[in-house]
Amino acid sequence: MQAAHALPLASAVPGRDGASDAEVPVDDPDRFGRPLPDASGRWESYLAIEGMYCPACTLAIEQCLAPLPGVHEVQVSGATATARVVWSPERGEPAQWLRALRLAGYAGAPAGDQLAEAPRRREQRMLLWRWLVAGFCMMQVMMYAWPAYVAEPGDLAPDVAALLRWASWLLTLPVVLFSCQPFFASAWRDLRALRIGMDVPVALGIAIAFGASTAASWSAQEAAGEVWYDSVTMFVFFLLSGRLLEQRLRDRTAGALQGLLRRLPQRAERLRPDGATEQVAVHRLAAGDRVRVRAGESFPADGRVLEGETEVDEALLTGESTPAPRGPGAAVIAGSHNLVGSVVVQVERVGADTQYAQIAALMERASVDKPRLARLADRIASPFLLAVLLAAAGAAWWWWPQGADHAIGVAVAVLIVTCPCALALATPAATLATAGALARRGILVRRPEALEAAAGVDTVVFDKTGTLTTDRMTVVATRVRPGVEPAQALAWAAALGRHSLHPGSRAVAAAAGELAAGWRTTDVRERAGQGVEGGVACDGGAARVLRLGSAAFCSAAPVAGDGAQVHLADGAGWLASFDLDETLRPDAAGSVAALHRAGARLRVLSGDRQAAVHRLAGRAGIADAWGDRTPQDKLDTVRALQASGHRVAMVGDGLNDGPVLAQADVSVAMGQAVPVAQARCDFIVPGGQLGALPLLLRQARRTRAVIRQNLAWSAGYNAVCVPLAVLGWMPPWLAGLGMAASSLVVVINAARLARLPEAS
Amino acid sequence: MDVLFLLIPLSVVLALAILGALAWAVWRGQFEAVDAEGERILRSD
Repeated sequence: MQAAHALPLASAVPGRDGASDAEVPVDDPDRFGRPLPDASGRWESYLAIEGMYCPACTLAIEQCLAPLPGVHEVQVSGATATARVVWSPERGEPAQWLRALRLAGYAGAPAGDQLAEAPRRREQRMLLWRWLVAGFCMMQVMMYAWPAYVAEPGDLAPDVAALLRWASWLLTLPVVLFSCQPFFASAWRDLRALRIGMDVPVALGIAIAFGASTAASWSAQEAAGEVWYDSVTMFVFFLLSGRLLEQRLRDRTAGALQGLLRRLPQRAERLRPDGATEQVAVHRLAAGDRVRVRAGESFPADGRVLEGETEVDEALLTGESTPAPRGPGAAVIAGSHNLVGSVVVQVERVGADTQYAQIAALMERASVDKPRLARLADRIASPFLLAVLLAAAGAAWWWWPQGADHAIGVAVAVLIVTCPCALALATPAATLATAGALARRGILVRRPEALEAAAGVDTVVFDKTGTLTTDRMTVVATRVRPGVEPAQALAWAAALGRHSLHPGSRAVAAAAGELAAGWRTTDVRERAGQGVEGGVACDGGAARVLRLGSAAFCSAAPVAGDGAQVHLADGAGWLASFDLDETLRPDAAGSVAALHRAGARLRVLSGDRQAAVHRLAGRAGIADAWGDRTPQDKLDTVRALQASGHRVAMVGDGLNDGPVLAQADVSVAMGQAVPVAQARCDFIVPGGQLGALPLLLRQARRTRAVIRQNLAWSAGYNAVCVPLAVLGWMPPWLAGLGMAASSLVVVINAARLARLPEAS
Repeated sequence: MDVLFLLIPLSVVLALAILGALAWAVWRGQFEAVDAEGERILRSD
């Protein structure tokens, strides 16, 4: 279909405000469309649609696009906000659709990632269809089996009975050949690898039951053996129901995050140096570009606002859609929504460097991470299944003298009733549901294993700066050594402070602004918990070695005043002090109260002065506050707490408390001081909301309870049902019901975790 | 009861026809956004 590349895709598209943009080349047509596999010459293309707020919009968009020339079919999905268009290249072009959409009030853009979604969607539809086939055939086969169950001996004429069996066989055939394909394929794969997977007993049970029933139906004997068509179809239906529910649950939890992340737009309006604008695909943006983002659009990359004022919705980070104001100089993140006004943004990070991409990568890694219990369950599964196969063979051999029918029935029941899949599902279902629910509230789970540890936490240790307080501080006063200009000291301090992410350094750098522009630094080194040291010189001048940091680091005498302070020193000793003002996070008091109600003991450890720490902690409601702690002190405190039997959760900004966070049982990083990709903590709260902590504890406890319930249920179920089946007290239909019910119970129990209690 | 020899094969054919109709619905995506499908009857055309 090479000729299709000559698609006339470039045409003038009227802009939102009526002005006509220049030619809009829709580059890379292959990225959002492809020829249909049949030889009809038609293409299918996907559009991502912005501005859909209600289900009625799907109908409106279908009505808008369907009458256009060349369009054969339009399918709009409200859930994913995409439209699939089947069209003929000779008679129409995508630019027309975009124009029609704009006139209707929506914004459309090519959706290349939908092409990658197509296999997943196909898989979902296949599973749904298999399930429907199994369901309808099951109902029909049960009707056919009904007479044989209720008839008195002699009532049912043999030829009618044979007819019913023939019809049952015919309708069970699609179920076994088509609906069971996943089980047979998986069992075959396992057997080829010389391993007994969970689908092997299932596949064997189905094959034996169907084979024996077929033999009994087609035999020439008068009193043919028993048939189990109804059991087989019912069993397959229930099994597929379990799989369908599991798939829906996985889509809902991973998909909830996908929904948040889907806000990354496909195109952006870039400002050229000469002032003209051009539409480019977002993957073509580079750091340093300037883009205009209008109200109602999403930001295409991480950056800083240059012109304009607006409010943004950063639900991506905080889990809440409250609008936050952003003016010139403020940072914006890719994927967040621009709500109010048009702004010009300087792009700083694109593609895989954006917070959005890092969060997505983190969630993907966490979702395939297998917690300890799940690995244990996997290890037990194989020998357990081997035991089940042996038990089935043994039971068949034992019951054979009493009738081949009965023996086969018992063997099939044993094979079917066991459900190690419930054991394997017990933990992952719960952790996946919880991780998704927490992600929607702005808490990222980096290590799902930590959920187990978080359930047992009884002590929470807070850092102060950046954790209890917002990570923005301001300089309120400057004191200098006699003979030094305050502005000069501020400029030097800012030159050093530029290199550090500590809130105090950032505050100083922000206060100095342009003053520090002319100063160069050399050989800058940062000591965690203490400060920054380096040489500062203006162009051509001699460098003087300065230190910026805590009082001890800068040999400063303790000065009166409660607030946080940052000091400057040079070779001759103390040079300047900057008093900083910090604000407690607004939800601190409420979160502390909630943690107390949850039974946790709280403590604050900080490197700042004792009086300041005590005062701030008091405002938050924490009585146990310690200042002047070095990193080693903090580490020792945590170790001592653990030695006396407590489980400690450490909450910090992830930057300065590395060793302490690693030592604690559970570590939580607040705010955006550390890029998500480099964080080494168990949980990350990029939005910095302290309310996440009581929520996390509560949810971790619920998760632990659900996991225990699931494990107890699956172990108990197997322990009770396998002996019952071996003893012959379990007909195959009951075995099928039990098996499916067992995994359904586990999945539904885990789904309870996906609903979080309302924010208190 | 000879009519059963007609009815039962007919029911098999009917079941297969229903499955065909369901397949058509599934592959057209009708089971994916069930709210929108329900509102389709409210369309003015």
